[in-house]
Order: sequence, then C-alpha cells, then structure tokens
Amino acid sequence: MTEANRQTLIASVPDSFDTGPDWLRTLRARAAKTLRQQGLPSKRTEAWRFTPVRSLVNSEFAQNDGEGPSLVSAVPAGVTVRGLTEVLQSQPELLRGRLDFGGAPTHFAALNTAMFRDGLWIDVPAGTIVEAPIEISHVGPSSSEPRVAYPRVLVTAGEGAELTLIETYAGGRAGQLSNSVVEAELGRNAKMSHVRVHESAGLQIGRVDVRQDADSAYRSTVVTLGGALLRFDVRCLLQGKGAECQLDGAYLTDGDDHVDHHTLVEHEAPECRSAQTYRGIVSGKSTAVFDGIVIVHRDAQKTEAHQENRNLLLSDTATIHTKPHLEIDADDVICSHGATVGALDQDQLFYLRARGVPEDFALAMLTYAFVESIVDRVSHEPTRSRMREALLSRIPYGDEIREVT
Amino acid sequence: MLKIQDLHVEVDGKPILKGINLDIEAGQVHAIMGPNGSGKSTLAYVLAGREGYEVTKGSVLYKGQDLMDMTPELRAAEGVFLGFQYPVAIPGVSNIYFLKAALNALRKHRGEEPLDAIDFMKLSKKKAALVQLPDELTKRSVNDGFSGGEKKRNEIYQMAMLEPSLAVLDETDSGLDIDALKVVAQGVNGLRGPDRAMLVITHYQRLLDYIVPDVVHVLINGQIVRTGDKNLAKRLEKEGYSEVRDAAQL
Repeated sequence: MTEANRQTLIASVPDSFDTGPDWLRTLRARAAKTLRQQGLPSKRTEAWRFTPVRSLVNSEFAQNDGEGPSLVSAVPAGVTVRGLTEVLQSQPELLRGRLDFGGAPTHFAALNTAMFRDGLWIDVPAGTIVEAPIEISHVGPSSSEPRVAYPRVLVTAGEGAELTLIETYAGGRAGQLSNSVVEAELGRNAKMSHVRVHESAGLQIGRVDVRQDADSAYRSTVVTLGGALLRFDVRCLLQGKGAECQLDGAYLTDGDDHVDHHTLVEHEAPECRSAQTYRGIVSGKSTAVFDGIVIVHRDAQKTEAHQENRNLLLSDTATIHTKPHLEIDADDVICSHGATVGALDQDQLFYLRARGVPEDFALAMLTYAFVESIVDRVSHEPTRSRMREALLSRIPYGDEIREVT
Repeated sequence: MLKIQDLHVEVDGKPILKGINLDIEAGQVHAIMGPNGSGKSTLAYVLAGREGYEVTKGSVLYKGQDLMDMTPELRAAEGVFLGFQYPVAIPGVSNIYFLKAALNALRKHRGEEPLDAIDFMKLSKKKAALVQLPDELTKRSVNDGFSGGEKKRNEIYQMAMLEPSLAVLDETDSGLDIDALKVVAQGVNGLRGPDRAMLVITHYQRLLDYIVPDVVHVLINGQIVRTGDKNLAKRLEKEGYSEVRDAAQL
C-alpha cells in the first residue's frame, strides 16, 4: 500500500469523471492520477517541510455544499462575473486552456482541480479600466461535522484592462478545511491589484497562480491574521517582456497559530521586475514560515528581483522559519534578498516612553507601525483603511492607536 | 525642583558619574559643559530613566520625589523632558499622532480631559511656528528623513507641546548651523518661565550666547569640577577644558 493510498483526504477522489466538457474531465483525471501517485505532501516534501499537514491529510472531511465564493460587491460596468459551473455547462469553450494554465498541479492544488464544484469567473475585457474594487468573500464551512470546501476563482484581464480584486477569507470553524485555487491571467499591459485578508479559525490552504503577459503589472497585498493552520502559495509567471509583480504581505500570529507563506516568481522573459516584502509579528507559541523563491530563467536578461522578509519575534516560545532564495540562470540581472528576525528597537521604545507614552502602548504603536507599512502600499483608500482596521482589531491598544492615527 | 546628591552611576560595571551634586531651582537655567566622555549624556539619560544605567550611590529628588524610582513615562507625566542628542527615527509612527498620545497620557496623569483633534491641531500649529517647523514635518514619521536641524527643532517643538517642568537638553546645538541654532535657542528661550527649570548640556559655549544660563557647571571625568555664572562658560571657551582640568588636578 502506498502512502497516498493511506491518506484519507484523497480517498474520495474518483478515478474517472463523467460530467463537464472533455478537457475538464481530462484535467481532473490527470490531477486524480497525480494525487494517487504522489499523494498529499508530508514533512519529507521539501516545500512542505514546516507545514504540519499530517493530521489534516489523514482526517475525514465531507465535501461542503454551496462551497463557492460569493460576490459581495456590485459588478462594475464592463466586467462579467459568472459562476464557473454555469459557464462550464453553457459555454465550456470559453474556459478551455484557462484552468490549470500553470501546468499540471500537484498536492492540494491537484486536489482542488479534481474536486471543485463551483467558483467564479471574473472577466475584465481588453481596455476596461475598473476603479471600484470587485470583492468576493470565502466563508469557510460552518458545519459541526468536518467539511472541506474547494473554492475556485479565475480572473481574466484583457489587454490594458485594470482591476482591483479584494478577497476575504473568513469564518470557518475550527477543524473545517478550505482548499482554494485562484488563477489570474493578465494580458499585455493589464494591471491587477489583488488584496487578500485571511482571518479564519479553520484550516486553510490556498494557492494563487498568476500568468502575466508583456508590460502587465500584478500587485498582491496579503494580510493574514492568524489561524490554526494557514498555508498560502503565490506563484507569478512573468512570461511577457517588461511585466512586473509586487508581492507584499503582513502576518500576525499568536497562540498556537501556524501561518505559512510561500512565493514563487518565475522570470521567464527579459526586463521584468519583481519585488516582495513580507513582514510578520510572531507571538505566543505560534509559528510563521516565509519561503520565497525567485527563479530567473536563462533568457530573462535585465531582470530586477528583490525579496525581503522581516519578522518581529515577540516571545521566546514562538518560531520563525524564513528562507528567501534566488536561482539565477541569466547573467545581466539585479537581484537582492534578505531576511531578519528581531525584537523591537529599544531606542525607539525609550524615545516614546520618555515623551510619556506608557510602555505597553508604545510597544503596540511600534508593532503596528511595523506591519502597517505593508498596508500603506495599497493605493485604494477605502481598501487601505479596511485593512488597517483588520490589523488594529488584532493589535493591543488597537482602539487607542486608531484614536491617534 | 531638582536635587542631585552624590550621584554615582555605572554603565556595564564601569563608573561614569562619580559623585554629582546639583541643585536646580524653579525658574533657573543651568548649563553643564564638559569635554567628550565626561559623562554629560549619561547624566541626561539617567534623569530620563533609560535602561542600562545603574545608580550605585546617591539620590535624585525631583519636586521632592525619588526620581530614580519612576518609569520613563511616569517621569514624563510628572513633567520631565529630555531633548535627545541623537533623536531616533521611527518610520511608520507619525510625529503628531504619537505626540497626541503622549500629551493625552500626561493630561490623564494630571486628571485633565484629553485634547480633542481640533484643539490639538491648533496647539500644534502654534508650537510648530515657535521653532519654524513646517506643518508637513509634524505629520511625517518621527524624525524619519529629517535633517539634523529639523530633528533638533522637532525636539523643541515636542517640548513646547508637552510643557515640562524640567527640561534636560542634551547637546541641542550639535549639528546645527548658526541660523538653525538661533531658531532653536529662540524656541527654548520662549519656554523659560518662573515655574520651569532647564538643564542645558553642551560641549561648546556657543549655545550659551543664545540661551544664557543662570549657573554654569563644568563636568569632567564624572565630576562637577567648577561652578560659576555665565562668565565661566566664556572663560572656558578661551582657555579650553585642559586649564580647568589642571586646576582641578584631574
């Protein structure tokens, strides 16, 4: 018996699929086969070394009905938002080649491909510039039974299109699992700002795959407010010359939280730029992981790639694993990466106290400033203040800090 | 106001202050002059309550209370202010907002209502004008990207906002050109008053041309070796510290 066969979570994955268009049945069968051969990851899988998924993959979950993400904002003019199931029934050709564009998925992404029932397709046609954000919400299963949901979102932005997508991952009881896949395809010169706020008591595993054509720009800002087990992977494929991506993240962990952020930026074309800035505040007995990879392919000359992960470790019992790394096959590149783990600056703390700010309040101010700098980069003001609120709700003296800011 | 008696302070087990005696009355401005390494900044930090400075002997009474027993924030609430020699930059913490938190903490300690946003902004505008600190700088992150002169003006602006009873100004003149020095000194002089005492620490006599002290002390090697009036500073400028050092047989 192989290890894969012992994993309860994939036991319900069928061998063959009999609904949906041919191409989708093929994708699903391929994903199912991969899962049966490789199984879900374990501690021995390098990219999952620090993510404690053992008990998760060996637990039984019933698949949740009504698992799809829901649209919570108005649909801006010119944009189409449709249910994936509906499109797959009525116009499946529109989606051919667009799901799993990043290649054959493995692990949890493969599980989503094999099992997802519904999701959303957001299409912003060429030349459509949308200022108001499109907002979708993922509310995890709330059943008292262990349930799993497989949310799926596809974003297509045509040439010169611009959009802001806000996703909130909330709710979800302890022990409930959400395993999501979001894919975005940016045409030439398209711009997407992607904001995600993760706040859930449940278990969450999520992947974002972005494919970028020439001169497109993808900007991701993630705020993660703790959780029993949260694991997020973002992958950007810079396939067209001059494309750029900026991946920013702020995470706050406490108690027994485990929060895991992985990024992978592939510079496939020349003259692309990528920048990553992740900042975390790690307290209690929690664990935070940052694993960032930048791969510069041989033809990707004049690449500029930067990676930075900074952490504030606020307790002796918390753990941080940080691993930014670069793999460079081109020779004309500018790349940098760095990681820090430290405590709050004592000179700054003394300065605030010497002016009369009580110690705990001063600590909270400095802590907030450390992560707020990430949120500060979100250009849409209402979104920015919502993200600030999310941070303030988790920081001691949040009300007092709001009062003075 | 401030009574320091036989104060001995060690840093990392090394004696820095070796028996300081100082008595500052309300309304007075005292200057402490001394060469590098004489213990001037140590004295400033000890009064403000920075960690890492161990008082091994002596006492510091402020308004009759034991100052050394208080946390830095309690000292501030009781009216002690330290103008830093090297004000630290705090990216992400806005100057004005942190100051509002500080001022309202002080008011709370005195049993006063917090200032609302409008009154606070009015007060801030008035005080910033005292040291010609542009409005825009009051809103930026604390000292972040400020020039040397801007940092020092920011210190005096904060002092004007907090209206302390005892202001300790640690080398407020360092890094200032003559025009900036005049502005800062003017700001400080504007805050002199019968209920307020100041301790002005400086290496050079130049500052004391603009902030004229009532009493001048010379600190060398952790001890006050000479005390006099403003003319002592002028003499020091001419003769240098070596003269005093020799006379004190140090």
